Amino acid sequence: MTAPPPSDRLRDGLRAVARIARWEVGRSAGVVDRRTAALGLVALLLAGAVGGATLATGGAALDRDVYRIGVAADSPYHEVVRESPALAARPPDLGSLGRSVEVVVRDDQFYVADSRKAEAALSSFRSAVRRHNLNQMEAEENVSAAFPVVVTLRYADRGGSPGAVADGGSGTETGAGTGGVAGDDPASGDETRSGGDDGSESEGGSDGGDGGADDTADTAGGTGGTDGSLGVPFLGGSLLGGGNSGSPADISPPFPFGALVLAFVFFVPMNFVIQPYGSSILNERINRRGELLLVAPVSPTAIVAGKTLPYLATLVGLTAVIALAIGGGLTSVAAVAPIAALYLAATFVGGMFARSFKELTFVTVTISVFLTSYAFVPAIFTNVTPIALISPLTLVVHDLQGTGVTAAQYAFSTGPFYVGAAVLFTLGVGVYREEDMFTQRPVPLKFLDALDSRIAGPRSMAVLSALAIPFVFIVELLAIAVLFVLPVDVSIPLLLLVVAGVEEVAKSVHVYAGFENDFTNRRTLRTALILGSLSGLGFFLGEKLTAVVQFVGLPDLALGQAAFTPVGVGSAAALGLLVAPLVLHATTTSIAALGASRSRNWYFAALVPATLLHAAYNFAVVSVLG
Amino acid sequence: MIEADSLRKTYGDFPAVVGSTFDVERGEIFGIVGPNGAGKTTTLKMIAGLIEPSAGSATVAGFDAEDPEMRRSLGFLPEESPLYEDMTARSYLDFFADLYDVPSETATERIEETLDRLELDHRDRRLGDVSKGMKRKVAIARSLVNDPDVLVYDEPASGLDPLTTNYVLEFVRELRDAGKTVLFSAHNLYHVESVCDRVAIMNRGEIVARGTVPEIRERYGTTEYRVFTSVPVPAFETDPAGDRHVTTVADMAAVERVREAAGEAGGEVVDIRTDEPSLEEIFLDLAAETVDGPRGAQ
Repeated sequence: MTAPPPSDRLRDGLRAVARIARWEVGRSAGVVDRRTAALGLVALLLAGAVGGATLATGGAALDRDVYRIGVAADSPYHEVVRESPALAARPPDLGSLGRSVEVVVRDDQFYVADSRKAEAALSSFRSAVRRHNLNQMEAEENVSAAFPVVVTLRYADRGGSPGAVADGGSGTETGAGTGGVAGDDPASGDETRSGGDDGSESEGGSDGGDGGADDTADTAGGTGGTDGSLGVPFLGGSLLGGGNSGSPADISPPFPFGALVLAFVFFVPMNFVIQPYGSSILNERINRRGELLLVAPVSPTAIVAGKTLPYLATLVGLTAVIALAIGGGLTSVAAVAPIAALYLAATFVGGMFARSFKELTFVTVTISVFLTSYAFVPAIFTNVTPIALISPLTLVVHDLQGTGVTAAQYAFSTGPFYVGAAVLFTLGVGVYREEDMFTQRPVPLKFLDALDSRIAGPRSMAVLSALAIPFVFIVELLAIAVLFVLPVDVSIPLLLLVVAGVEEVAKSVHVYAGFENDFTNRRTLRTALILGSLSGLGFFLGEKLTAVVQFVGLPDLALGQAAFTPVGVGSAAALGLLVAPLVLHATTTSIAALGASRSRNWYFAALVPATLLHAAYNFAVVSVLG
Repeated sequence: MIEADSLRKTYGDFPAVVGSTFDVERGEIFGIVGPNGAGKTTTLKMIAGLIEPSAGSATVAGFDAEDPEMRRSLGFLPEESPLYEDMTARSYLDFFADLYDVPSETATERIEETLDRLELDHRDRRLGDVSKGMKRKVAIARSLVNDPDVLVYDEPASGLDPLTTNYVLEFVRELRDAGKTVLFSAHNLYHVESVCDRVAIMNRGEIVARGTVPEIRERYGTTEYRVFTSVPVPAFETDPAGDRHVTTVADMAAVERVREAAGEAGGEVVDIRTDEPSLEEIFLDLAAETVDGPRGAQ
C-alpha cells in the first residue's frame, strides 16, 4: 500500500486533534450537570462582579472610613479627606471630638481626641496630606520647582554577597540639598520634600523617606498612591540598571509586592485546570477505557494533543483575561503561557504514571507546590538580582512595573519551561500505548519505561542526555536561588556538589533504563562504555545551550560562574578547556553506566564516585578561573 | 485478509506468544481458543496493531498491522469494553464514526441500522446507566461504525447471559455472511465449534493445533466406530445393546473385520455409528500434552 504524502498526514492529524479536542470539551461539559454548571456560573459572575467593583473603586479598602475627621467643606483639608479611603469627613464640631470624630480641623488648628484611635487617625491624616501634596507637586509643569532635589539610585554589583541585599548598594545623589528634614506636620500645610543636607543617601533604597515618624505608613501609602488604583508599585525604571526615582518619597525597598501579588493571580486557574486534566488522562487508563482510541486511526500524539488543547486554550484565555484585568500586556501572557504548558505537561506525565486517583492527587499537589515555588520565589528578587529571571513570573513583574523585557531575557526565562514541557509531553506520549498505559507499575518504573520508550539504539542515549538539559538547568538554577542566601564560602562548594550530582543522574538514568530493558542482553563492559560515552557527549553538546545564560549576565554573579563556568561556556579561559568537560562527562557517565549495567544497587553505588569526580573537577575549574 | 507470520511477543524473559503463524481468508470466521494466559489476547492485539511484536509480522487487509492506515479496515472489540459512561450510545458512536472519517450522513444511517440490527434500545441514555449486555452491543456497534472488512473480536460473548450470547454469536455469523472476515477468541469451545470455520488452539503461547474442526478432529482426536451386529462377534469385545450387540473399534479396517466375523457367526452388521470427540476433549488432550514443558520450548 502507498503511504499518504506528509501533507495529507499532517492535515489528517490536525483534523484528528480537533475532533478529539471537541470531544474532550463535550465530555468535560457533560460531566457537570446543568444545575452545578449554573451555580458555578453564578459564582463566577459574582466573583467577577465583586472583583470588577473592587478594581473599579481602587482596590479593596478594608479600612474604608475607619477614621472620622471633622473638617469644613470649604477647608483645603476637605479634599484630602475625601481622597483618602480610610478617612471620612464630618462636620467640624468640637463637641463631637472623641465621640463621633477623632480629629477636628478648625481655623487651621488641629484638635485630637485623647485615644489611641485618634492618634492613628492623625497619623493617617498626616500621610494623606503628604500624598495629596506630592500629587499636587507631581502635577506641576515645572518639575525642578516641585522637586529641587533629584535622587538617582544606582545599585552596585554585590559580588554575590548576600549581605548586599540589605545594603542595597550605594546610593548617590545629584542636585542640591536644601537641608533640613521635611516638615511632616499637617498643620503647616506646606510640606516640602528634600533630601539630606549632605548630598548623600546613606541607606540606599531601603529608606528614602523623609525621616518622619510615620515613615512606614508613608512608604506603603506612597507605593499605592503612585501606581494608580491597582497598587502596582512604580519604580521609575529598572533599579538594576539605575534610574531616576523621581522623588525621595518614591524610594522604597526593591520588593515588588503589589506586582507579585497580582502576578500570583495567574497561578490560580492553573491549579484548578490541572485537576480535571489529570483526571481525564487517568480516566483513559482506568479499566482500559482508552484502548479503543488507541485502535482508532489516530496517533497517540494526536490523542494527547487533542485532549490537552482545550485545557491549554482555557489557561491561555484566562491568562489573557487576567492580564487585561490587572494591567498586564502581551509580555505577561507570553510569560505565563509556558508556565501553563509545563503545568499541563507535568500533570500529563503524572496522569500517565499514577496508578490511582490518590496517587494523581499527590502528583498534582507536588506539581503545584514545586512549580509555584519555582516561579514565585525567584520573582521576589526581580529588582535585586538577575537570578530572578529563572522564573517567567519575573517577566510578568517587569511587565506590570512597566519595565521592558528583552528577547534574550524572555528566552532565558521561558526556554527551560518550553523545552521542559515538550520533553515531558514526549516522554508521556512514549508510554501512551497499550503495553504501558494499563500496567500497574510503580511510578519510578513507569518513569524508566517512559525513558526506555524513547531508546531506539545507542545514539538515543546522547539525545536523551541533551533533552535532560532543561531539567538540569531548572534544578541548578533553583539550587542557585536556594543557596543564594548562604555565605559564598559555603554555598559555592555545596552548589558544585549539587550540580555534579544532578548532572550525573541526568546523564545516566536513561542508560540505566536502557540496561533494564533494551540492553538487557548486552550487559558488557564495552556496551557500558559506549553508552556512557555517548550519553556524556550528548550532555556536553546540550550543555552548550546554556550559553543563553550569557545574554542575561548570570555568570556575572559568583554563583552563576560557579554553576556554569565549568561547562566551558564562561570566559575565554574556559573555552580553552573545551575538551576537558567532554572527557569529564564521558568518563563519569561511563562510571555510572558500568554500575547501571550490573544492577540497580551497583548503579546507585557508581553514582557516588562519578559525582565526586565531577564535583572535584568543577571545584578545580572554579579555583583555576578564580 | 489476515496473515500472521511467526508472531512472537516476549515481556522481559517471559514469552507470551511463541511464533504464531496462521492466515484468515476473506469471509471466514477464524477462532482462537485456549486457556487463560495462552496468548490469545496478545495475538489478537498484535494483529490489531495495539501491541508491537517482538518478532514476526502480521498483515491485515494488505496493510502491515502497525500501519495506522490499517485501522481504517479494522473493527476491534476488546474483551472488556469499558465505555465513556458519561456519553450516550448515539454520541459515543458518532464520535468514533467521526474519528474514522465517516461522513456524517453515512454515519447516522449506519449507526441507526446497526443499532436496529442489534435491537439496542435506550440510545440516548448515558452508557453508565445501561446493562452489561447493552454495553456489549454498543461496543460491537462501535466496531462496525467504519464498516470494516476485518473484525477482531476478543471474547465477544464474555460475561453475557445465554440469550445475549446466542444473539451475539448469531450476529457474528451474519457478519460473516455479509462478507466480513472475523477473527475471534473464546474460552467457550462450544461457541467456537458452532461458529468458526477454522480454529487454532493455543496453549502456553503457542499454536498447538490449527485447521477446520473436522480436520483437527481427524488429526488430533480419536474417532471411534461403534458396530452394531445381530449376533455376538467372536474374537471381539462385544457388549449387549438391547436386542443387538455393539463392538467398538478404532478404524474402518477393523469395522470390516467385525463385519466378516459377524457373517461367520451367522449374523450381520445392522448399524455403524461414529463417536467423534468434541473440540473440548481434543483441547484438553493437547493442553495436557504440553503442560509439563517450559513455555515456548515445546
